[in-house]
Amino acid sequence: MLSSIALRNLSRNRRRSLLSLLVVSVGTAGLLLTAGFVRYSFDGLRDAIIQGGLGHFEVTPTTRLDGDSSASDGSNLPPAFARWREIRAELESRPGVRAVGATIQFAGMATNGERTASFLGVSVEPDRERRMGMNVRIRRGADLPEAEPVAGEDRVLLGQGLARSLGVEPGDVVTILIATTDGSLNALDLIVEGVFSTGFQEMDDRILKTHVATAQRALGSDGVTSLVISLEDTEGAREAEQDLRQVLEGGPIPLAIRDWESRAPFYGQVRALYGGIFTFLGIIVGVLVALANSNTLLMSVLERVREFGTLLAIGTSRAQLASLVLLEALWLALLGALAGGVLGIVLVGIINFLELEMPPPPAAVDPIDLALAVIPSDFLLAGAFMAVILLIASVPPILRVFRLKIVEALGHV
Amino acid sequence: MTVGDSPTFEARHLSRTYRQGKVMVPALSDVDLAISAGEFVVVAGSSGSGKSTLLHLLAGLDDPDSGQVFFAGTELATCSEAERTALRRDQLGFVFQSFNLVPVLSAYENVEYGLWLNGVAKSERRQRVENALESVGLSDRMRHRPDHLSGGERQRVAVARALVHEPRAVLADEPTASLDSRTGGEILQLLIDLNASRGTTFVFATHDPAIVARAPRVVHLADGRIVDELRREAS
Repeated sequence: MLSSIALRNLSRNRRRSLLSLLVVSVGTAGLLLTAGFVRYSFDGLRDAIIQGGLGHFEVTPTTRLDGDSSASDGSNLPPAFARWREIRAELESRPGVRAVGATIQFAGMATNGERTASFLGVSVEPDRERRMGMNVRIRRGADLPEAEPVAGEDRVLLGQGLARSLGVEPGDVVTILIATTDGSLNALDLIVEGVFSTGFQEMDDRILKTHVATAQRALGSDGVTSLVISLEDTEGAREAEQDLRQVLEGGPIPLAIRDWESRAPFYGQVRALYGGIFTFLGIIVGVLVALANSNTLLMSVLERVREFGTLLAIGTSRAQLASLVLLEALWLALLGALAGGVLGIVLVGIINFLELEMPPPPAAVDPIDLALAVIPSDFLLAGAFMAVILLIASVPPILRVFRLKIVEALGHV
Repeated sequence: MTVGDSPTFEARHLSRTYRQGKVMVPALSDVDLAISAGEFVVVAGSSGSGKSTLLHLLAGLDDPDSGQVFFAGTELATCSEAERTALRRDQLGFVFQSFNLVPVLSAYENVEYGLWLNGVAKSERRQRVENALESVGLSDRMRHRPDHLSGGERQRVAVARALVHEPRAVLADEPTASLDSRTGGEILQLLIDLNASRGTTFVFATHDPAIVARAPRVVHLADGRIVDELRREAS
């Protein structure tokens, strides 16, 4: 009965109740939009990291993870390991694994005969990269061909900043100079197949990409520095990691496995930053909603002092009266959250439909999509948040109820 | 202290003073009064004579500065707020000058509210509410909200609300003051009839001489003191 009375009490001063509902619903919609943007950004950044080349997991020799970054052969290259083809075949046979690609990391100098620039090289298997769903953002020219090049026909993709530094375009030839595994220098001519972007300006200024076979030829080694594993489903990463660890523990070489998050610490930093911003916004929204509704609820109590006095006189307890005020607050939260949910859905639909873009963030190259990913639990959380805020807002009017003196309330005009 | 044959209300040396700004205004001074079960007592007096204060103290809505109030042998000063709330809920009914109905509830729901407070089951509530509204002549106005009822009808709803849980006593503070004389007379007659038929104790505060003239027992208050008391034989 109290719940019914509380709901009807909202209709007493419709303009004020509508204003309160508007505050709650706009606050709810604002939270939903912010949460949707943050979620989309997290998901987008995660996928960009995974599909940008890191994959879900990386398998490397354990010495590299122990802090010994030098190879056992005395060069400054990351340690390579042999028998990687049979290890890869074993890993690719595991459930949930989409594909496994070998990579070699190396560094050196690149020149077109006139200009020289240092580079960070990564060699890949293009056919497996495609199977793994890696996203290579080609700006000019083409991606590396799937087939391994024969000697003398080696290809390279240059980061767009590196290509600009060297002044080369697709079809030109660059020469790379690198240290081999035995410490001597080796030079190799590479045909520029295309120019690409990693999405990060500093990386684009240094990176180049070749086939694994090309890097092995240049380094004089048939090993690779890591195997990159891509899963069918990111959500199943934890289970897959346990399975893959078991496979590696029984393998011929001591190898370690690391997930993408530990190799991309900035993802955690971005999450912490966005989480902080979202919390700050939530606090601002909460304070605004609490202040606005606390005033509304208090006014509602002050206008009904005589009625409250009557109810107390005829045997209503103060706890029951406090419950009445509390229920009015919860009705405001519920109705406001429902309206805010509908408003949020409409706004999310409109924003996603418009396909808006935001300027590139610092150090990034491309603009980012202004899109929102709202999931059902967000609506529940926003509604629960509003309920808590309205409960807080109802404290001052409830305290007023507990301070009411019945005789004075009955004489209140 | 509880005594089996105690008066329904008993006031002993009751005094109450209110502060108005810096001035202390005595509302009741050394009032002694006993009201037996089933009595219909009119507390008469001009405005400011202390009628409402006396009713508030008898109902445990306020505390005296000195003196004692007993309800059915129980001294109210010994009761906690929860016990007083339960006493008012279970054993008292109230009728106010301005009706004091809950505006968002229908006549039916206003009457039902008291039973809901008492934890009466819904099916029983319906029967008792319908009976109560029928007894005050409002069977056909049950679903109307107070703002769609006349003053007399609202006060009848208030009377039904006061009686529906079958209280030991009803306290009515100027219940006819907001009504015209004919409607006020009807309400008074209704209360007298209910007193006669149910045996409920009624304490009725008024300054209307026409009503005072019809009351079986009248306690006159002036300046917070009982200055006269009149008993009439039932006709």
